[in-house]
Amino acid sequence: MEKKTAVYVCSGCGIGASLNIDPLMSISKEDYSVPVCKSHECLCSREGAAMIKEDISNEGVNTLVIAACSPRVMYDVFNFENCIVDRVNLREQVAWCQKPGEEDTQMMAEDYLRMALAKVEAMELPVPFKPEQEISRDILVVGGGLAGMTAAMEASKAGYGAILVEKEPELGGFQKKVGQIATFPYKDLKDNRIISDLVKAVTSNPKIKVYTGAAVEKTVGGPGIFEISIKQNGSLAEHRCGAIVMAAGWQPYDPGKLDKKLGFGLSPDVITNAMFEEMSFGGNVTRPSDGKPVARVAFLQCAGSRDPKHLPYCSTVCCTTSLKQAVRIKGQNPDSEVYVVYKEMRTPGQAEDLYRKAQESGVLFIRCQDPEVKAEGGRPAVEAADELSGETILLGNLDLVVLATGMVPATAFGPDIGKELLKAADEEKKEEDLDVPLDIIRRSKILNLDYRQGPEMPALRYDFPDSHFICFPYETRRTGIYAAGCVHRPMGIGSTLEDAAGATMKAIQCIELTSRGAAVHPRAGDMSYPEFAMQRCTQCKRCTVECPFGAINEDEKANPLPQPTRCRRCGVCMGACPERIISFKNYSVAMIGSMVKAINVPEEDEEKPRILVLACENDAYAALDMAGIHRMTHNPWVRVIPLRCLGSMNLVWIADSLSKGIDGVLLLGCQHGDDYQCHFIKGSELASIRLSKVSETLNRLALESDRVRFETVSIIDYPKLPGLLDEFAEKLVEIGPNPFKGW
Amino acid sequence: MSVKVDPKLMKDLEHFGLKDVNKCFQCGNCTAICPLSTPENSFPRRFMRYLQLGLTDKILKSPEPWLCYYCGDCSTQCPREAEPGEAMMVLRRYLTSRYDWTGFSRKFYTSERFEIVAVAIVGILVGLALWLFRGSNPNMEHAALNSVWPAPAIEIADLVMAAILTFFLLSNTYRCAKFIMGDLLYRIPPAIYIKKAWELVVHFATQKRFGECTDKMQWFVHLLIMTGYSTVFLLVAVFLAGGLHVIGLYWDQLAFQRDVEYAIWHPIRLLGYYATAALLYGTTYAIIGRLKKSKAPYKNSHGTDWMFLILLELTTLTGIFIHFARIVDLPMTTYVLYVVHLMVAVPMLVLEVPFAKWAHLAFRPVVVFLTQVKEEYFKEQKMLA
Repeated sequence: MEKKTAVYVCSGCGIGASLNIDPLMSISKEDYSVPVCKSHECLCSREGAAMIKEDISNEGVNTLVIAACSPRVMYDVFNFENCIVDRVNLREQVAWCQKPGEEDTQMMAEDYLRMALAKVEAMELPVPFKPEQEISRDILVVGGGLAGMTAAMEASKAGYGAILVEKEPELGGFQKKVGQIATFPYKDLKDNRIISDLVKAVTSNPKIKVYTGAAVEKTVGGPGIFEISIKQNGSLAEHRCGAIVMAAGWQPYDPGKLDKKLGFGLSPDVITNAMFEEMSFGGNVTRPSDGKPVARVAFLQCAGSRDPKHLPYCSTVCCTTSLKQAVRIKGQNPDSEVYVVYKEMRTPGQAEDLYRKAQESGVLFIRCQDPEVKAEGGRPAVEAADELSGETILLGNLDLVVLATGMVPATAFGPDIGKELLKAADEEKKEEDLDVPLDIIRRSKILNLDYRQGPEMPALRYDFPDSHFICFPYETRRTGIYAAGCVHRPMGIGSTLEDAAGATMKAIQCIELTSRGAAVHPRAGDMSYPEFAMQRCTQCKRCTVECPFGAINEDEKANPLPQPTRCRRCGVCMGACPERIISFKNYSVAMIGSMVKAINVPEEDEEKPRILVLACENDAYAALDMAGIHRMTHNPWVRVIPLRCLGSMNLVWIADSLSKGIDGVLLLGCQHGDDYQCHFIKGSELASIRLSKVSETLNRLALESDRVRFETVSIIDYPKLPGLLDEFAEKLVEIGPNPFKGW
Repeated sequence: MSVKVDPKLMKDLEHFGLKDVNKCFQCGNCTAICPLSTPENSFPRRFMRYLQLGLTDKILKSPEPWLCYYCGDCSTQCPREAEPGEAMMVLRRYLTSRYDWTGFSRKFYTSERFEIVAVAIVGILVGLALWLFRGSNPNMEHAALNSVWPAPAIEIADLVMAAILTFFLLSNTYRCAKFIMGDLLYRIPPAIYIKKAWELVVHFATQKRFGECTDKMQWFVHLLIMTGYSTVFLLVAVFLAGGLHVIGLYWDQLAFQRDVEYAIWHPIRLLGYYATAALLYGTTYAIIGRLKKSKAPYKNSHGTDWMFLILLELTTLTGIFIHFARIVDLPMTTYVLYVVHLMVAVPMLVLEVPFAKWAHLAFRPVVVFLTQVKEEYFKEQKMLA
């Protein structure tokens, strides 16, 4: 594509009052020989947009630099097909946050314009990725329980085919064993017809292909082109599918592992909540030891749950389940004595109504942190310190003690691949592998992915294959694979139905976007993808190790084998590559490098230091905008370059900036660690790991390592930004000017 | 030492009017609003828990239910409509029945039929007695009560009745004190009892603890009923025959049931008017309140609450009618009304005072007194230590 560049400067929203527009025009015309340079007092108006459109059709311009407001706003107005567009943020990050009419303000605007012109020079129009194979619109659903069957039904209702794989000989999952359920509106118990109805609907649906007693033997490829091998009765079936809903379900926590104090094994009349369901399916609750009716029952909540030694988390459903079982016993025999011993009663949503029902039907609730099950006269008894009266009470002569055990996701079983890798790695490799913390991936034999980073979903916490649950509900850390139901996180029936529908919706979005060559969430619609200049690859494996989404496979010689449909376009690989061989059409190491070069660094005696801010565009850049919107004045020496993710930060930019005479580099990324906020999970963490090695580079240049700093900011931190920038600027003044100035 | 839980207590207490205690989830809003609650003593929340767990022993030994006058703030504040105020009322009924060693009280509280039959029997017996022991030569021209039932005779009957009542009431009060104080009852030196005796009088006369509650109207009505009743009691027990005639004390100027009409400013007449007005106002207010369920303490009414108010109202009304019948000088009407008056008043006294709601006139001030004695004792012990 022959580029013909045009620059448009908006003078509205206070930009004109703050800046002198003419010098901006002359920089474009004279320094960069831009053929079309125009200014407008309201560029986002109908007239302004029409002016640009006219130039596109009449003048043939196709590379547009729009110097106006932040790229985070008006993106629909400044969206021109088949044109390279860059936005210069003159409003939020210059006019609104700098002193109007000052020399420094003008210099900042001019630098930003130069940077944009350098950027569009290096940019190309992305060409969407089209895989060789035909994109499949079928969805593979792994797990034929409530979540899986719901997902398959939702897919078929939306017009997509589903392949349902269940390891048991029959569909139904855990809920098949449940006779009565308590779900919305929680006023009473209902007979469980959900599963039988769903099984009927699923098996009679022509769009759903069901495999029971089957398992996924292998999953190859990526979104749109997953190749699935399903093993059933010794024979293999092959399917291509576009996306995967993983609804592999859960297992009750093994009661054999519980503390002795809880008395499991003490008597056959001490059972778990799951055993209660199986034992009472379709009939009355009786004493397991002798089949006699039950009149005195105690439920012990949090048996092994919320306990660092067992399951550190709350399974959210055990309280409601115990309430349900307590109400059942009361319904069976209103004169029975039913006790629920709890740490905290947790009845999410309207399940509170079931608690009320239980309470009003005479179930007695006892708050106690560590009850003890004893045997007294051959019958189980529970001793509990009742916090609410301060008395230690004895519930003796019990017919049944029910331990409310929690849920363990199906992904929690099998050895952790990370440990295998560590074991396998020999001495020299070990050091390298430890740099990037390994994900926990267990060989749980659910998907058997043919991925370089491991055969199953990486766990976020407690072996649940989740992602950031607020920003990315239904997401896992593998593109095109969405977890649903209790494998995702512990949940009840209502949430499972919702979760399955949500995961199916994400799967459909994934298929649709992939078929257009676009990225999925969070860069939904992005048509660019990383390209590898393989002739320069040194097989260092940095890209294959660091990709947070496992999008790059590896051949035997350690050459990266990118799978573009798995890619989320964060650019972590680009930041990782020491040889700089990975670039996007519109985002590359060279592009940011030339933006850095376009910054005008004044001589030392002008006493105008320069600070390069590399800001994550998801939060930090938005926070800078917010500071501008609140008219908070910040330091005039900063020059901000937004990055797709701080994980795409290549160390060469820091070396380039400092050798050019820029006084300091500030990296603004998202919070990482347990409560990470990075849109790409590990981006900011990887950036900080890379940065820890930058001191070596700085020493080589004989520079102080204080010149480079990493800060985490979230969008709500915007009030802190001006202070943070000023403080860094002061530190740089203290260190003194960069000796490389003017070289 | 662990205690046994008894969920059957709540079932049993349903006869005493217990309804919604199982709804309580121990949030403590009742405790937050209650002026009786202290940081050390979470009242009434703790008692709601005792009830739920059926900790009978704890309840029996607790003075707190008697310290509560049922202003109803806790019930109004309760987010679960667990009615803690009513629960404390139920506890007082239950405790009254437990203090009573005869077992009569329990029957009276737990069976409405027993209650009605007992009142009817006593009423009929009183009617029969009045018929049998009427004067042989009644004055049919003028309304002269003493010509049919001479005051000294009535007073003797009255004192006999008072002695029996007092025996039962005091023996039950002793049991109450024993439950609450346990071994301390005798361990505490008499000096402390004497020192705090004044509190007993003050609390009885002013109900000042009730005055601390937010709803002053309830305190006022309670004070009216209490003083009205006490005044009448004084008139009947002490001045009926113009002083304690039986033991030789006699001053006709200050006698109650006289055939002469005292002047309007006469102290006996003025006291009578005060007592009548106070009782009439207080009782009518309470009856209307209970009918309309106008506020928390009136929302739940046990059979004994109704019986108490109806008997008191009827006693007051018949008293008023007798007074006017005498003034207009209708002999027969006066005599009939007098019989009815006593047929109502006597069962009220005989049954309610030792065994039912009236018993709290002894229990409450005594418990307030004993708790203060106990506090004083512990204070002294602490100082000694």
